Amino acid sequence: MWMQDRSVRVLGLVLALCYAAFIVWLYVSQPQTLAEVTGGLTASVGAYRINQQAFDDGLGLFRREQHDAARAAFERADPAGQDARTQFYIAYSYYRSGWGRVYQDNEMFKKGLEHAEKAIALASGGRLVVDDPGLAMHNADELRAELAEGLRVEPSDFNPMRVFRQRK
Amino acid sequence: MKATTEAVYLPVLFLTVTLLGGLRVADRLTFVPPPLFSLVLGVMVFGVLVRGRVLAADSLMSASRTSLENLSGFIVILSTFFAATQVFNLVTPESGLPFLLFNVFLFVLLVNTLAGAHDRVSVLRSMGVIVGAAFILKFIVLGAISEPGDTMLKRVLFALLEGVTLGTLTQPRLHPVAGYLAFATLVLFLVGLAMLPSRSSSVALVKSQE
Repeated sequence: MWMQDRSVRVLGLVLALCYAAFIVWLYVSQPQTLAEVTGGLTASVGAYRINQQAFDDGLGLFRREQHDAARAAFERADPAGQDARTQFYIAYSYYRSGWGRVYQDNEMFKKGLEHAEKAIALASGGRLVVDDPGLAMHNADELRAELAEGLRVEPSDFNPMRVFRQRK
Repeated sequence: MKATTEAVYLPVLFLTVTLLGGLRVADRLTFVPPPLFSLVLGVMVFGVLVRGRVLAADSLMSASRTSLENLSGFIVILSTFFAATQVFNLVTPESGLPFLLFNVFLFVLLVNTLAGAHDRVSVLRSMGVIVGAAFILKFIVLGAISEPGDTMLKRVLFALLEGVTLGTLTQPRLHPVAGYLAFATLVLFLVGLAMLPSRSSSVALVKSQE
């Protein structure tokens, strides 16, 4: 009887502490979907895996410049938004969709910046380098800076020579 | 009190209230931490519960109990406090004049309960009235004012509050699920309070002179 009472108390204690830790995690990380909750929990124990097939599909579409479809595939590959590399490609896809020779789409750049920041936050030590020969920017910091610069209004924006610049 | 109730049911119940108290359902889910004033109200509720013998702290933590028993008692006390705090986070409007008015209203009600109620049943009733009234005001009255469109209740309230700019009273529109979720959370909280270990009034045994 005494042992049973003790076991129940130990079990209750462990349960309460785990539940409290889960609540604190929810309030800190603010997941918005069930996929983000499960993805976040599995990522916290290092067990999160992206859908590789969907990622490869996304990469193929990205290289063929079909960015809307590529983003859909990347979102499917990483529904919890926990993989830094996938988030980098989503950000890059927004950059390429929003880039224009005369002007850029600010909405696209804003979304791209959000994903670039997320990719940096998820990367180990905040450093993310993607070795893809098809990209002009391999570093997430460089991508973030490019997107942030695109959102700023500067005197150089009115330079007519801008039409000759190249998309990265 | 049974060990299962003290170590498992009560902490799980109060932690669930803590979780749901800050949950806001809109087009996206957000978890809102309690404002500072909710902590003050939570402390006051704790005082009311102890004073009204709803929560006998010495039944949960005392020198006569083992370390493990004291630890699970401490978890119950802590989770009760967090649940009380989150209940006020739940029933208080998010901003503006209603936020201020609700906090004053809840503060006055709790001071009144702290001063007046000294027995378990009346304290539990008072708690039911306080959270119930706040629920009705936020989720039904303010909810109706904040709804887009012209409803009967809105017209009545507009007539009653003539002279007050409704812009200062309106809150972000509530999701249809929000009210039901809040109701379930408050019921859980009240059930948890009723399950807390209580202390009956002390009785003095006096030797008869016959």
